[in-house]
Formats: sequence, C-alpha cells, structure tokens
Amino acid sequence: MGGTGNVRALTLLLFVLLATSNCYSQTYTQRGFLETKNTFYPQEAPNDRAHTVGESLFRYEGFLSPTSSVQLAGALDFRIDTHRQVDRDFQLSWQDREIRRPLGEIRRLSATYHKGPLTFEMGKHFIRWGKSDIVTPTDRFAPRDFLAVVDNDFLAVTAARFNFEKGTNTIEAVWSPRFTPSRIPIPNQRWAVLPELPPGITLRDAGAAFPGGPQSGARWNHTGAIEYELSFYQGFNHLPSFDAVPRFTSSGIQVDVRRFYPKIIMVGGDIAASTPWFTLKGEAAQFNSSDDRADEYALYVIQLERQSGEWFFVGGYAGEAITRPGTRVADFAPDRGLTKTLLGRAGYTIDANRNIVFEAAVRQNGEGVWVKSEYSHLLGLHWRATLNLTLISGNTGDFLGQYHRNSHAMIVVRYSF
Amino acid sequence: MSRVLTAVFNISFLLLQIDPRQILEESQRRTMTQSQHYEGTLRVIDAKSKITEKRWQYDRIGSHGSSKAVLRFTAPAEVKGVALLVLNHPDRSSDQWMWTPALNRDRRIALQDRSTRFFGTDFSFEDLEERDTNQFDFRLLSEESIDGASCWKVQSTPRQTKVSQYTHSYLWIREDNYAFAQIENYNKDQLVRRAHYSDIRNDQGIWTAHQIDMHDAKRNSHTILRIEKLQYNVPMKDDAFTREALSRES
Repeated sequence: MGGTGNVRALTLLLFVLLATSNCYSQTYTQRGFLETKNTFYPQEAPNDRAHTVGESLFRYEGFLSPTSSVQLAGALDFRIDTHRQVDRDFQLSWQDREIRRPLGEIRRLSATYHKGPLTFEMGKHFIRWGKSDIVTPTDRFAPRDFLAVVDNDFLAVTAARFNFEKGTNTIEAVWSPRFTPSRIPIPNQRWAVLPELPPGITLRDAGAAFPGGPQSGARWNHTGAIEYELSFYQGFNHLPSFDAVPRFTSSGIQVDVRRFYPKIIMVGGDIAASTPWFTLKGEAAQFNSSDDRADEYALYVIQLERQSGEWFFVGGYAGEAITRPGTRVADFAPDRGLTKTLLGRAGYTIDANRNIVFEAAVRQNGEGVWVKSEYSHLLGLHWRATLNLTLISGNTGDFLGQYHRNSHAMIVVRYSF
Repeated sequence: MSRVLTAVFNISFLLLQIDPRQILEESQRRTMTQSQHYEGTLRVIDAKSKITEKRWQYDRIGSHGSSKAVLRFTAPAEVKGVALLVLNHPDRSSDQWMWTPALNRDRRIALQDRSTRFFGTDFSFEDLEERDTNQFDFRLLSEESIDGASCWKVQSTPRQTKVSQYTHSYLWIREDNYAFAQIENYNKDQLVRRAHYSDIRNDQGIWTAHQIDMHDAKRNSHTILRIEKLQYNVPMKDDAFTREALSRES
C-alpha cells in the first residue's frame, strides 16, 4: 500500500465508488464539512514566534451499500494552513507517517461485510476500544494527530477487523499489517517543547525507525446491568520514545534524536456500572515490553458520569504505576502525561442550537493545569461557529505545565453538508 | 339533577365494567407489527418561538416490549449519522446506545440519564422507548373528549421493575380506534411533558398519528414530529439492530 501506484489505485477506486453512487442513490449516504480554524496565541514560544495560525479542512465521507450485507466507506481530507503544519506538495497520502499533515489524504477507505452476528471489515478505518474519556488506556488501535497536543484528532489504521456480536456478548479480533504512528508536534513549532541545551550542543532530528511487524488484538465485551470488557493487544506503541546519540562535530556536539516505537503487550479491561445517581466507569491496562528501552507500566482511570437536565458531568482520576523503568532518553506520551491527574468535563445545552463545554485537567502535584471552555452556536442548518478558550499553566518539567506558553483562543467556523 | 345522576351512573358503570388493562392491551394488540419505518421531521420551537428543524429516520423490528429500534439523524448536516439504538424489554427498561460518528464510538445511555432531552428535542431518551403494558399498572379515571373524539382517560403507573423519570402518566385512548390521543407525564404533581397525537390515519390497517406534538412544560418548548413515508411490515433484518450495526452509517 506504500507505493505511489497503490495510492493512485486506491484513489481511483474511491472515486469510482463515489461516482457509481448515482447508480445506487437509495443506498448511498454522504456528509462532510469545510472548516476554517483560527488560533491566536498571546505568548511567543522560544522556537515559534507566530501568534496566529490559520487552517482550513475540507472533509468528504461517503458510504455505499451495494447489497444489504456489504458497505464501502470512503473519506477524503484536503487541508491548507498558514503555519506549515501541512505539506505544501500535493500528494494523496494513505500512510499517515508524514511529519506534517498531508495536503490530501485518504482518511478512510474500507469494506465491511456482515451476515447475522458476524462483521468483517478491512481497509483503512477507525477502531476504538475502551469506555473512559480523555485518557483511554485500552484504546490501542487509535493513533492521533497531536500536532497541537490538546486539540487532537484520530487517525485511521490499516487493519482487518472481525466482530461477532450475539446477545449480550461481543468478541472482536483485529490484525493490522502496517503500523500507523501518532503524529507528534513539529520540532520547530510551539507544541514541541525542546530542552534547554548548553552552548555548543545542538539537536538533530534523525528521523524515525518505524517497526515492520504486524499488530494484533482481541477483546471480549459483555453487556448487562454491569458492562465489562477484557482486551489484549500485541504490537507497538503508536506514541514514540526517543533515543539520543551524541556525535562530535567541528562546531561542537550534535545529538541525533531518533524516534522509535517500542514493542508492547497490553492486557487490560474496563467496566461500567450504573447506580441511581451516576455511572461509574473504570479502565485499566498493564503495558509490558521486550524492549528494555521502554518503561513497563500500568495506567488506570476511574470516572463518574451524570446527566441532569441540560447538564452533563464527567469527573475522574487517571493514575499510573511504573513497574519497570526503561532506558530511553524521553517519550512523547500524552496518555501517560495526563495521569496522576484529576480530570473533569461538564457541558450545558443552552437550547437546540447552543451549548457550552468545560474541560479541565489538574495534576495532583499542582504543577500543571489545563482548562478549556468552548461555546458553540449552530446557525441555520449548515453553519456552526465555535469559540474556544484554552488556558495552560504550570512548570516546565510537567507534561501539561511545559505548554504554559500555549494558552490560546480559537475561532472555528464550519459549514456542514 | 336527573342529568347529573345519569352522568354519575354512566361513569360508575363504565368504571366498573371496563378493565383499563384490557383497553391498553387492545391498543397494543392493534399496533402489533413485524416492523416499522418512517422518516420524521422535527420542528423544535423554544419558549421564544425560535424554530430549529431536524430530521431522523426510524426503523423498528418487532413490537412493544420485544422490539428493537434504530433512530438515525439525517439533518441538520452536522449531526448526520448520529444514531440511537433502543433495545426494548418486556419486563424492564430498555437498553440504549448512542453512536456519534465524530468520536467513532458508541455510548450507553444510563438509566439515570434517560430524563435528558434527546439531541435538543423535547423528547427525552425515555420517551423514545416503546411502552409495554406489562410494565405499568392502570386505573381508568373517566371519559373525556380530545380533538372531538371520545377517549378513555387512564392513569398509568410504572411498576418497580421499570425505572422512569415519571411517577405516573395520564393516557387518553380513543374509543373508536384505540389510538393514543394524548399522554401527560407527571413527576409527583408536576406536569413534565405532554404528547399530543394528531392527524391519525389508518395505514395498512393500523391507526397511526402522523403528528406528535411533544410539549416540555418546564421549558415551555415544543417539538412537533411529522411522520412521513410510513411503512409497516417492511422486510428488516435482526442484525441491523445491534451495536455493531449502529456504526454502519447507511
């Protein structure tokens, strides 16, 4: 799938599917949007002096069902921006391995066959596991675009998924032949917080070592008065760790920093139980690795949920326990970075067209705080305007606190069709 | 004086003779179908008379306590694809899951959250369940006229196995065709919601309201659901009513 020829073939296939949709108009659905997003940062960052970033995204999604048992799903993204977070060369990307966001991307292209309790899906698609919000330890087939760390979006994975749902039980098995990494902040931009180095020492991005093997996983879910799930994953962490190799050059010491994605085995589970007052959710996973450079650790989340009138509340705690420290130099790990943290989310529906949402994460040691408030207004049947204010404070050594210069205001205008 | 006595006698006779459960069971029997499909247009009218339009597509297989339903928004554009799966049970409250395409994830709607309004409409999640007579106790109260049609007014009280935001409801059932004319839902003595059924037509032998006006008494807002392209007993597959199917978008 990696070659240009294959990408062209897939693109052609997608367009053929969309074009043939006219023949099957009764079984074709589509949707999409054009969105412009303007972000204003009051503070400069040491590696990024820009105060404003403008982005536009056009997304088209189509779903074609040629028979009652088969569905083809395709989605395309086209982007432009003012801050070189998007590649300038046009290329329709399939891999999602670029440092920058691709200008054109096949976001999804998958075929689903279902018969009775069986569903089989293959291609590039989204797979979500787990029940908790903000931090979801068992959600292993869900890499994300973290170019702006606190405003991230999921990336699809290339995989085959087999699902068997019968009564109150669901068994799912996933096999992914190709690794999809999370996209991390670009080194010369504000969301990449680089260490302060003594004079004479420079860092060089030595690229990434993408793992070549497949990933696989399985989960069993039981629904009842108490819903629970057990899951197993064997593959690679989609969040990178970093190795550093110093080299002596004529101008001083150059440190080559290389991304790698350690092998992991995850065993986890989640549970959701309703009480008359709230829903209690818990999710936990243990991560082991045969790679000594990587930590072995457990992540867990406990959260309470409640909807009352026009309000909804989610509040909880995410924790981490390191069972074996690794030897790597550093990680980019938002999932672990949001542990030892109190998490909260609240929303209020003002009326059919307007709502507000508040989100917050406060580190238990008080060294990092992230607060987001968002007001959203639907205008007519197609337009939505959203105003977002994000405040981040704390110490440089903390995962959240390191972004204390990145508090921002954002205006998003979206036309949906 | 004699007219009053006659009326009192008639009402007493009615109350003694008619079992309200039989009325509700007959009403339920007359609406038993293998499946139902319709496209609904919703006009949400808030207290300031501001109108918002939404549309959904509704599919149901089975009837009442043994039914399964999927309700999928088709408009406005930004909520296209959002879907609700309702698995009704004869002996307890339904199970509900909501699918949000933007998250690629379903979320179970907990029992204690069912009083919440469904996506900005005046229907709560609980109102989207199919009522089953086995989950309620009934008491015949009187005869009243709704929209010129003579109706039985029945009080329904949820049994212990049925978790409900409403302590009791008043049901008006038309005497001529056993169709619902109105439902008032109460929490203690406070009116919470009133559903008024109108444009009642005979579709494939089933008397069906083509317009439901749901009034939220607290917010003083209305949602008017117009039912279009209604079909009963269309072929549907059981596997279209699962959590996995919820994520299939068309």
